[in-house]
Formats: sequence, structure tokens, C-alpha cells
Amino acid sequence: MKLLEALVLLTVLIGVAGLLLRRNLFLKVLAMDVMSTGVIALFVLLAARGGVRTPILQGSALEASQEVTRHTDWADPIPQAVILTGIVIGFSVQALLLVATARLSRIDPCLDVAVLEAETAEPVPRP
Amino acid sequence: MTTLAIAWLLAPFLAAFLTALWPGAGRPLALLCALATVAMAGVAWGGTLPLQLLGPLGVSLQIDALAAPFLLLNGLVAAAVVLEGARRPNPGPFLVVLLVLQVGLNSAIVAVDLISIYVALEVVGIGAFLLLGLGGDERAIWLALRYGLVSNTVMLLFLIGVALVYQEQASFALAGAGRSSGIALALMAVALTSKAELFVVGLWLPRTNAEAPLEVSALLSGAVVSAGVVPLLRLALAAPVLVPVLQGLGLACAALGIVYALMETDLRRLLAWSTLSQMGLVVLAPAAGGLYAVAHGLAKSLLFLGTRHVGGRSLAAWRRTPLPTSARWPLLAGSLSIAGVPPLLGFAAKEQLGAALTGPLAGALNVLAVGTVAVYARLWGAPGETPEHPSGPHPTGGLGVGLLMAALLLLNLAPGARSLWGDWADGSLAWALLKAGMTVALGVGLAALLDWVRSLGWRPWNLPQPEHLDALLGATVVLGAALVLVLGP
Repeated sequence: MKLLEALVLLTVLIGVAGLLLRRNLFLKVLAMDVMSTGVIALFVLLAARGGVRTPILQGSALEASQEVTRHTDWADPIPQAVILTGIVIGFSVQALLLVATARLSRIDPCLDVAVLEAETAEPVPRP
Repeated sequence: MTTLAIAWLLAPFLAAFLTALWPGAGRPLALLCALATVAMAGVAWGGTLPLQLLGPLGVSLQIDALAAPFLLLNGLVAAAVVLEGARRPNPGPFLVVLLVLQVGLNSAIVAVDLISIYVALEVVGIGAFLLLGLGGDERAIWLALRYGLVSNTVMLLFLIGVALVYQEQASFALAGAGRSSGIALALMAVALTSKAELFVVGLWLPRTNAEAPLEVSALLSGAVVSAGVVPLLRLALAAPVLVPVLQGLGLACAALGIVYALMETDLRRLLAWSTLSQMGLVVLAPAAGGLYAVAHGLAKSLLFLGTRHVGGRSLAAWRRTPLPTSARWPLLAGSLSIAGVPPLLGFAAKEQLGAALTGPLAGALNVLAVGTVAVYARLWGAPGETPEHPSGPHPTGGLGVGLLMAALLLLNLAPGARSLWGDWADGSLAWALLKAGMTVALGVGLAALLDWVRSLGWRPWNLPQPEHLDALLGATVVLGAALVLVLGP
């Protein structure tokens, strides 16, 4: 468990480092995705427990309700349910950012952030 | 009432769908949705309406007195932007995105569980991204991408904070976040700080606002910012340990914004820097910040919409360029309100904020108020148009600008602001008026001094402009690390 937590943290940190250190815009967006993968893994890890029952009920409703009261050691389904929303949102934002990146490749095919910044800068009126 | 509230929250989605099918219906529908938001603000002022949907771990919303001023601001700014944006050649896509943004903003204002706040803020982020990118040229897309990348990165940090809160509290309720560990609080605070355009992580704002279309700038600076501030204020109310940290950040941010605004030479960048400083003041007192945010948001939207008719954006030539009458009054009303001149709403808001602060913070607020006046005094010196110096074709004054100006006057009757005017009898109002007069005099003096120094040939310092994408991302990480250190594990 500790090892897995450390690996999740490492994934997030790799994503942050990529965001900060890469000069290529495409790689920056990908680094953000790596970070997002780490966050999703964190939620999955939160819900994962050894030696408990999967929260899927079987049989008739009556048996199921008896089963619920008989066992209290269910794994927690809530974080996984919640992170599904997070995955969808992350995916759509990622798609939008990549479309924008593709458009920006018209300015600089190498997608260098410094070049893009300079090319799109507005001449600021100085006295 | 619950059904009505849910219908109000989701109606803009339906309106957006209808607008996509039939663009002609867009404006009336958008106005109707904005009106519903204003009405809901009235309900929220009347009493708290808690909503718990989908079971105990589901979505929880709370339409309460904290949300009321922000809902009002959101409705009014949206209505003004719709009215002003009528002359756009193709308003269809703009209105669709505006309506979707409305849902996000309203949800972010009333949400009280962490996951709902996350989803609402992501909707706001996507809406703002699309609004910025609607221009279609490369510059607009770069601005949008910059915003989207920073905003999604901070929301990932927020999610990590949420996961830690759930691990400790087994619940996503905002109230439980107050008892959670420092790391979780720090991660959520840094994300919300960036959304609220505070301090270094808010530095994406000046360039974005200077180059985006005017209506989008008005929306961003007026309404979108408040969506980030409400969850931050709610978090600070749940976790008092955050309050001193936020006050420190707010003061630093207010001072930084004023210094940059005083040195700025571009009109719209000056307005954006001033937004940064005003948002710093809003977080000084979580309970009293609402009215201040409304006063500032209305005035700032008015200022951005008013700059439509201004000929040049350079402040160096400001005193020599005649200002058209249609720009003169909006600029004057907006800047006087932020400067805290009675009887505009900004005066009441500033008094209320001052009453909520004690000790050195109250003194700091007075000093910052003088700085704020000095920033806006730079806009007051432009000559009016004369028959010899016409300022060009006469554009008609917009309905939206009129709406915002009326709101700045009439909202003095709103609950919260009204009580101040009732204090006439015991002399505190006279004292407040005297203080406002002195502040304005000192501020105008400071602006005149700076002008004199400039006329001697002194050039403003070349302040570093930390606005590159890498600088923004780096600032977010540094601030996050600093907050983790301050708040402890």
C-alpha cells in the first residue's frame, strides 16, 4: 500500500516536472495528462482494500438486503464513482487543449512555448 | 421550492440547446436566465435553502446569504453583456457558451460539497476557454490555451486535496474539510486562489483581459472571478486556520496590483491589474467580502464595456485625447464606485469591509484605498469632446452599460448595504463620508505627484512582467509548496 502511494505521488510529480520543464506545448499537455493519471490512480487506491467484499449485490432484493446487513466489510464504491466524472472531464479538456495546440502549430510547427509566446504577443504601447 | 431551484440551475442548459437550434431565440432566453438568477439572489437573501440530492453522499447545494450577492452579480453582469453584445455580427455561438458558463457559475456559487465544486469550476473553466477562443485567430487561441492549461492543472491539485479529505473524513462535505490535514487544505486553497485570480497565481489575468474581446473581459473580470472566490470564502469559513493565510495573500496581492496599475501605460491592463488588487481585498474578511465583490464586479464590467468607445488605449496620451460622452459616464461611474465615492455602491461596500476588519488590517485597508483612488484618478483627467475636437462618430450608449450604472446606484437599497445608510443619526455616516473625502483627496494628490514625476522625464520602472506560461505554472507550484509549509502536514 505504501509502495503504491509512493508510486502515485511519483506519477503526479513526474507530470508536474514535465509541465514545468518541457518547452514543447504538446509535451506540456501530455504531462498534464500524466498528472491526471496519477490523480485518478489516487482515487482508485483510496477505495481499494484487501479482504473485503466487492460492492456488487447478487440474487434477489431480499437476499441482497440480508447480505448487506450481514456483512459490513464492503469496499467503498464512492471514490471510484466520483472519479469517473473526473476522468470524463479530464478527457474532454485534454481534447480541447489538443485541438487548440493543433491550430497553434500553424504559427510554429515545433510548438516551442517561447516562440508561441513571442509570436502572439501584442505590441504594448510604451511612451 | 427544491424543484424550482433545480429548474433555475439547469434552465440555461435547455436555453443553450434551443439557441444552438434557433439562434434568434438566444438573446431573450439568455436575458430570461439572467433575470431568474437575479430573482434567485432575492430568495437567497430571504433565507437559507439547503438542497441534498442523490442521497447523503450526493450533491449538496446551499442557496444562502453568502451566495446571494454573487448570484446577483452574476445575473446582472450576464444581462449587461447580452445587451451589449447585441451588435456582434454572429452572436449565436457566443450566447450558447455564455449560457453554459452561467450554469457553471451558478453551481459553483451554491455548491457546498467538494466534488460539485470541482465539476462546476471545470464547467466554468471550459466555458471561459471557449469564450476566449471564439475569436478564432491564433492569438485568441493561445490565450485560451494558456488559460485552459493553467486552470486544468490547478483543478488536478484540487482533486488531490479532495481525495485526501475523503480519506480522512469519509465524506466530501465542505464542512468536514475544516477538520482535515494541512496538505489537503493547502492544495485546495492554491487551486481556488488561482481561479479567483489572487496573487502570483492570478497573473494569467492582465494579458488575457487586455487582449480578449471586451464582452469576454467584462465577464471574466466581473463574474468568472467571483466563481472562484465563493468556494474559497466557504472553505475559509469552514477552516478558520486558512483565514490568516488568506489575509496575508490578499494584502500582498492588493499592494502588488496597485503598484503595477500605477506603473501601467495601457488602459485595459490597468483595469486588469486593479481587478487583481480588488480581489485581494475581497478575501480579507470571508463573511463581509460578498458585497465588496459585487460592487467591484459591477463597476469593473462597466469599465470594460465602457472602454468600447475609447479611441486609444495608451494612458500616456490620455490627458490629450478627447473622450466621447458615451464612454465618459460609464468610465466615471465605474471608477468613482471602485474608488469608494458616495453614493455609489463601492462606498457602502468599502465601509462594510472596513467594519469587519480590526487592528492593523483596517489601517492597511485605508492605505490601499488611497492607492486605489490614485489608480483611478489617472482616468479622470481626459478632456470632454468639444465642437472643435470631435472624438469621431457618436456611438449610441448601450442598454447594458445603463443597467450596470443603475445597479451601482440602486443596490444601496439591497440588504447589507441599506443598514449603513440607516446609521445617519449616530454620526458614523458623517465620519465615513469625511474619511471617504480624505481618501479621495490623498489619492488624487498621489496621482498628481506621480504625473508630475512622469512629466519630469522619469520613466516608470520596468517592472518584471511575470506572465509567461512557464512563470505561471512555476508560481502555482511554488505557492502550493509554500502553503503546504505554512499549514503543516
